[in-house]
Amino acid sequence: MSDPSTELPLITDKERVRRLLALPGVRPDRLDRLRSARVAIVGIGGLGNASAQYLAAQGVGHLTLIDGDRVDASNLGRQVLFGPADIGSFKVTAASKALLRLAPNCEVNALPVYLAEHNGASLIGSHDLILDGLDSALPRQWINQWALTNGVPVIFAGAVGYEAQVLGVYGKPPCLSCLWPSLDGADVDCVTNGILGPLVGMIGSLQAAQAINHLIGLADRPGTLWTFDLFQGRSRVVSVPPNPSCPVCGPTGKEISL
Amino acid sequence: MELTVNGEPIQVTNVATVGDLLDHFRVQHQAVAVIANGDIVGRDIFSQFSIQDGDTIEIIRFVGGG
Repeated sequence: MSDPSTELPLITDKERVRRLLALPGVRPDRLDRLRSARVAIVGIGGLGNASAQYLAAQGVGHLTLIDGDRVDASNLGRQVLFGPADIGSFKVTAASKALLRLAPNCEVNALPVYLAEHNGASLIGSHDLILDGLDSALPRQWINQWALTNGVPVIFAGAVGYEAQVLGVYGKPPCLSCLWPSLDGADVDCVTNGILGPLVGMIGSLQAAQAINHLIGLADRPGTLWTFDLFQGRSRVVSVPPNPSCPVCGPTGKEISL
Repeated sequence: MELTVNGEPIQVTNVATVGDLLDHFRVQHQAVAVIANGDIVGRDIFSQFSIQDGDTIEIIRFVGGG
């Protein structure tokens, strides 16, 4: 019996970007950057599930997925790359399989580990862009510091309860620590606070949109913080200025240890 | 005193500093960012940073979770 996958029509990179070509500001010669781009997604929870599938579908050539978690039944309401058969598997492994069904030409590197200071640089080095969808604050601060030092853009996002926010940091001030120099005591989780399933899809998609905008050379939006509160029915776009006293990107910036 | 807080006009009384404003809204000072008239206010000076009539204030709580 032949392998069904060999009978699938080959979807070329050109077809994946065809509908981008009509967009204002998109230059056809820059669309090749999607195929050559290496993007790391840290945290394959609700945000990572959403951003990964849009990046793969749109034709990003390489995705590195970083998360040491395994799929739990309580994830299935919002982590839409996973099905019941994936329960107990590493999230990155299950996500990788789903992404390759969506985009067989995408190179997916699944790393079932947690990012920490001792392994962070080796995990996210050699990438053009980082998407952060972590559920803990300290590694997020480390990524912010590492990315500024190395000039690598990061699209940060968080979502819990009915609230979410997205902030892109593009290798220069302002950065995450301009707003929150310390995140001690900031961790709240979806276990105790709940999470509205579609909210992570919406926010992960916004991360992916900012990532694709960056990769194809559309204007970055440094210092633009999107905030959403779906309980109150409010969304806001806040302009964040550089903070001269920022412990990371200010004149007295220092390294953050985990 | 009339302020614009997170894009909405509000009237407050007995508010002299950013710290007072956070207390007015019962917002914990930890893991919250404040932008006053376009400049970030350091958390260590929330209680000294004066607020004037007509100021525009953004109060932004960190939202983690993924």
